[in-house]
Amino acid sequence: MNYDRPDLADRIAADYVVGLLRHHGRARFERLAAASPVLRQARLRWEDRLAPLSLQLAPVTPSASVWPQIRRQIAAPADTTSNRLIARGRAGRRWWPAAVAAGLIAALIVVGRLTIWSEPTWQPVAVLAQANTAPQWRVERSADSAQINIRALAPVTLSATQSYELWVLPVGTGHPVSLGLLPRQGRLARRLNAAQRELLLAAMQVAVSVEPRGGSPTGLPTGPVVIVASIARST
Amino acid sequence: MAVAFDNEELEELLRRCAEQDESALQALYTRVAPQLLAILMRILASRAAAEDALQDVFIRVWQQAGQFDRIKGRAVAWMIAIARNRAIDMQRAVRPTVLLDAAELSGAEQLQVAGPAEGVEFGAVQAALRRCLGLLAAAQRQCLLLAYQQGLTQDRIATAIGQPLGTVKSWVRRGLESLKTCLES
Repeated sequence: MNYDRPDLADRIAADYVVGLLRHHGRARFERLAAASPVLRQARLRWEDRLAPLSLQLAPVTPSASVWPQIRRQIAAPADTTSNRLIARGRAGRRWWPAAVAAGLIAALIVVGRLTIWSEPTWQPVAVLAQANTAPQWRVERSADSAQINIRALAPVTLSATQSYELWVLPVGTGHPVSLGLLPRQGRLARRLNAAQRELLLAAMQVAVSVEPRGGSPTGLPTGPVVIVASIARST
Repeated sequence: MAVAFDNEELEELLRRCAEQDESALQALYTRVAPQLLAILMRILASRAAAEDALQDVFIRVWQQAGQFDRIKGRAVAWMIAIARNRAIDMQRAVRPTVLLDAAELSGAEQLQVAGPAEGVEFGAVQAALRRCLGLLAAAQRQCLLLAYQQGLTQDRIATAIGQPLGTVKSWVRRGLESLKTCLES
């Protein structure tokens, strides 16, 4: 379809803004809009038309821990040459089987033994390392799996326009689910929602992808997968 | 109730964010985060997930502030769009299966019909939207609100309200067309 036709552009933009498109449809719209001023304008018009509906909701004060986490994440060294979001064109790609096939993935299997690194209240999930490099992060979970705790073990070298994002890979079919961004330094504790918790408990592997800073724009990995690691199970 | 924002102030804060002024992001956070969290919670139905998304949203705002096209009055709509897109993407990835209960369904309707809180000034845009939503058939309005405010897909709306998917699609399509016609008249 020719989405430079204003009527078609308006219709698909409305579907996108209202949230009617499925995952791949959303990714496709974003790719098309990046190249089409007509689509972008149509999207802006619908965003403006409908935004007042969002302002009818009663505000909710965020927990005190949220701002410090944001502050920590933006405190990484800035690349002043570019702060543009990248990789839109890769959105929605079915990424990880191809990545496995291409041999781009290094796996570090960590079973047991991790307890020597864990504080008493944390249980090991995985240590994440790229091929032939020292471990970069240690991931732990609380005993009830309501939280994960991620520690950066080594300095992260990545452009300021990119982030590493952690994913849990479901067993069998299903999409990877984000467990959030990995810290460039220090420690980051993150609460998991019920769906994330359930998946983490059932899954066998986690993965790390390179994403635009702030995380995948699509909710699925869009960049190269640099690590796949097995999840440690206590015996 | 509706919340009013000073778009000019927000635009200035975004301009400072583009210059990597962290205090501007914090000021933006103080002003807008509660409203964005409400939007995220409505779609993700989980405070923890919504707060995670809120972090991502503000990092994205920080990163993209330089790209914000300074069309007057768009600052809030721009940030709402970032928040909604993040929430919808996360929700689609998780594929929740929880169905809405009757209270939530009727809540979608109430959001539209409830009047503004006393003393809160509704702008012309909000007033026009309310008027035009009020002109839609109730079923069309309910479907649009469930989709926009709660991020439900059309199949989930169909299941939630017990109507065939084709009927829901038709209501949504006609609702959007009527809304557009009304808002442009």
